[in-house]
Amino acid sequence: MNADRMRDLAEVWGGDLRRWPETERRAAEAFSRSAPEAAERALFAARQLDAALDAAPRPAVSAALRDRVIASAAAAGLRARTVWPGLRKLLWVGGAGWAAAACAGVVFGQVLTSDFERQVQLDVVLEQASVGGLDDTAVLG
Amino acid sequence: MAAVADPDEDLVRRVGQGDPAAIQAMVARKLPRMMALAQRMLGDAVEAEDVAQEAMMRAWKQAPRWTPGRAKFDTWLHRVALNLCYDRLRKRREVLPEELPDRADPRGLLAAELGARVDGALKALPERQREAIVLCHYQELGNIEAAGLMGVSVEALESLLGRGRRALRAALADLAPGASPDAIGGRG
Repeated sequence: MNADRMRDLAEVWGGDLRRWPETERRAAEAFSRSAPEAAERALFAARQLDAALDAAPRPAVSAALRDRVIASAAAAGLRARTVWPGLRKLLWVGGAGWAAAACAGVVFGQVLTSDFERQVQLDVVLEQASVGGLDDTAVLG
Repeated sequence: MAAVADPDEDLVRRVGQGDPAAIQAMVARKLPRMMALAQRMLGDAVEAEDVAQEAMMRAWKQAPRWTPGRAKFDTWLHRVALNLCYDRLRKRREVLPEELPDRADPRGLLAAELGARVDGALKALPERQREAIVLCHYQELGNIEAAGLMGVSVEALESLLGRGRRALRAALADLAPGASPDAIGGRG
């Protein structure tokens, strides 16, 4: 490495040696240690340009964008799984049991209700029939 | 092939499990990078927001099925965002010719104006040169990673970077000085 080579590389990779390809960086660091002033001169123009580049406004993230992006995680199907898988399975089975019991209850209730309704309807019909019979008897004498 | 060490590996795994804290951490870590990349590539804040949001949406979808060790998640995310930028730049070229920025009088530039000048000079660069500078300088990617993302050899990246930086220096020559190094914040 010499000053000219360092200047050429700085034109490409900039004045900060940390951004340089690893293969060149070590030689450049060694040159900087052995000839610090020459190295500084070689890097000067590149560092000026780096500083100018850093003066360009840094794009900011608005709070609204951040909130939208966080909300989009849920929309993409990412959901926190807070219970252990075994416990979740148990809960699922338990839940299925409760659901089955509820369904059975509904069916049983419906059967019971329809039996009860049928019985009530029958009673009403019989009662009306007997009432009608009385009326008829009364009318016919 | 050797497994790629990825500083984001644990975070991606937790995001894939739907961990809310990891999702927030991922947003804090990656959204500003994607926003910066998109805005510098596109030069438009509204379009950049769209690109950054879409890139993050794809990150959410990818996280549960991410296979560690094949690539860095950050590189993959850059690839996604760059492709979204390319699509928009392509559509823009079909509609409008590229506008050249005004060349303002540099005397008495305030910091904001200086920033705008630099931004304008960046926008005026040919697309591939701008991309090389954005990836290497602003996104601080290594040369191999940046070359891989651009689909070129490291030598080709070197050439694009060199031409881009020379063009920028020429465009900003009236700021740099012999005249007044302080104007562009030269460090000596």
